[in-house]
Amino acid sequence: MKTYKQPSTVGRFGEFGGMYVSETLMPLLINLDKSYKKIQKDKKFKKELNDLFKNYVGRPSSLHYAKNLSKYINGPKVYFKRDELNHTGAHKINNCLGQILLAKKMGKTRIIAETGAGQHGVATATVCALFGLPCYIYMGSKDIERQKPNVFRMKLLGATIIPVESGSKSLKDAMNEALRDWIKNVRDTFYIIGSTAGPHPYPKMVRDFQSVIGKEAREQILKVEKKLPDYLIACVGGGSNAMGLFYPFLNDKKVKIIGVEAAGRGAKTEETAATMTSGTPGILHGSYSYVLQDSDGQIKEAHSISAGLDYPGVGPEHSYLKDIKRVKYFGITDKEALEAFQTCSKLEGIIPALEPSHALAYLIKAFKNKHKNKIIILNLCGRGDKDLFTAAKAIGFDADE
Amino acid sequence: MNNLDSLPKKKILSLFMTCGFPTLNQSKKVFNEMLSHQPDIIEFGLPFSDPMADGPIIQEANKLALRSKLSTQQSLNLIKELSKSKNNTSFVIMCYLNTVRKFGLNKFIKNIKSIVDGIIIVDLPFEEEDAIKKSLSKNNIHLIKLISPMTDKKRSKKLLKNSKGFIYYISATGITGSNKLDYKEINKNVKSIKKMSSVPVLVGFGIKSKKDVIDISKKTNADGVIIGSALIQKYFDLKMDFDKYIKNLKKFIKEVKV
Repeated sequence: MKTYKQPSTVGRFGEFGGMYVSETLMPLLINLDKSYKKIQKDKKFKKELNDLFKNYVGRPSSLHYAKNLSKYINGPKVYFKRDELNHTGAHKINNCLGQILLAKKMGKTRIIAETGAGQHGVATATVCALFGLPCYIYMGSKDIERQKPNVFRMKLLGATIIPVESGSKSLKDAMNEALRDWIKNVRDTFYIIGSTAGPHPYPKMVRDFQSVIGKEAREQILKVEKKLPDYLIACVGGGSNAMGLFYPFLNDKKVKIIGVEAAGRGAKTEETAATMTSGTPGILHGSYSYVLQDSDGQIKEAHSISAGLDYPGVGPEHSYLKDIKRVKYFGITDKEALEAFQTCSKLEGIIPALEPSHALAYLIKAFKNKHKNKIIILNLCGRGDKDLFTAAKAIGFDADE
Repeated sequence: MNNLDSLPKKKILSLFMTCGFPTLNQSKKVFNEMLSHQPDIIEFGLPFSDPMADGPIIQEANKLALRSKLSTQQSLNLIKELSKSKNNTSFVIMCYLNTVRKFGLNKFIKNIKSIVDGIIIVDLPFEEEDAIKKSLSKNNIHLIKLISPMTDKKRSKKLLKNSKGFIYYISATGITGSNKLDYKEINKNVKSIKKMSSVPVLVGFGIKSKKDVIDISKKTNADGVIIGSALIQKYFDLKMDFDKYIKNLKKFIKEVKV
């Protein structure tokens, strides 16, 4: 395999990606791409971002050897990349800091974002508070209902939350509304997209900002194990935490990489969010990638217990990595994720978010009594506080008792 | 023959309507009503589940059309049926790229050849259009270009090279059916477009009344207008009373046909 060099200058990962937006947004995206290229060479920008990573986020996040879970699985040695320890409780803050610094440099005065689980919304509201910019968060009304703690967090941080009532009232629809806001307010507004989805340059930019996860993990594992891991594993909704971990390892051919999608009630049912398992290539939110759609190209509603994975699309780079077979993708159901959520809490004393619980579930299922003497890094990209109500309800625990 | 090549010089009227709205049967009546006024252009919107560039009114129209499981084939059949009484009216399809891709470009063209004069693919930017434009022009279907207030001169020049049919100037930075009209800015930008291209320039987004139509023609250099959301809005204003809606539509189209 040649050295991995994606995307092309026009934002293509193989045939995936691109910029499929109306002419109102095209000039903005071209301008954003130019500005992003410029700051990549800007030493002051790098220093500013690194300082914030260190002192505001608490990076590097630790690489924890999950001894009890490893023993339970009786398979590989499992390490958690603990991005759930970041300020705001997930990996989302890495990208938000990068993008808001860019917004500042571009002279933008108003920030918008979409959110599903609310983690990206909280991270965006946080950086807006830090930099004193007005913040508007689009969030599906169904997600507002199931992610109440994060809704309150965003409000405390000074953000305005705009409930989205269209479609499935979740992440996809929130992104539609945010894009419409951007089309209306092109001159002063910067749209902080939270995942490796959307039109170019977002998938590349978000991946780059998140790749601090993989860079750190690479150094950390080399230090403790004196060698690279045999496996990487992460959950994939839009795919930002996964790209962040995977990207710095893509050229290490011996490292096997696994992405875990949310299969909802089953990848073969209509109630799924496993885009790459059950979908076909199409265009959603400005990029060409795998998407859940019907025979007429109408986008289907996704389903997952995890709001952060409840998305009928996926970042174009994942579609490419799937097609070139560099990464293998599997689906995990709501039920399996909930079990892993509890197992991890009990065994490691870490309550994971429902998103990485999908990766945990696959790890337990596929590696049980297998692959001994191997090393695996799992991206524990978010903590479970936000999911306590959802999980309690699903497990049948009465929180009021 | 392509009707778009013989558009009048001034005061061009283009009417937009979503196919299958509110239901497929009622949609036929709506389009027949529109067609009976012989506007210069009728734009047929193909419903899409995620109409990113459309405002709440057209979104709602899409939703209603899709609720009765309207397929792309049914929309294209509807357009074909209506084309029997087309006369000099130009037929233009407005849609999102995923609809065309999934249907298959060649099959799509086969269905609309000699029926449809032009197509606007909202989310197909100039950078991605080559293959599609080639296939369309082989079949004498014009790919209509959108220009927004954000498109600078250099980019406009590239976009407008070999433009055909008409140019759709987005009068406000916004989604369909939104924002106030800034005649000064419209006039400045339309003038600049007209220097680069000889095809008519139509102004769309935010045109709601007879007054807006007259003002565009008086205060700007534009060759015509596109009305969409305002036509659909009436249905909701009339609490979805379809008979009243058709009567109201007749009155409104007569008014704006100045």
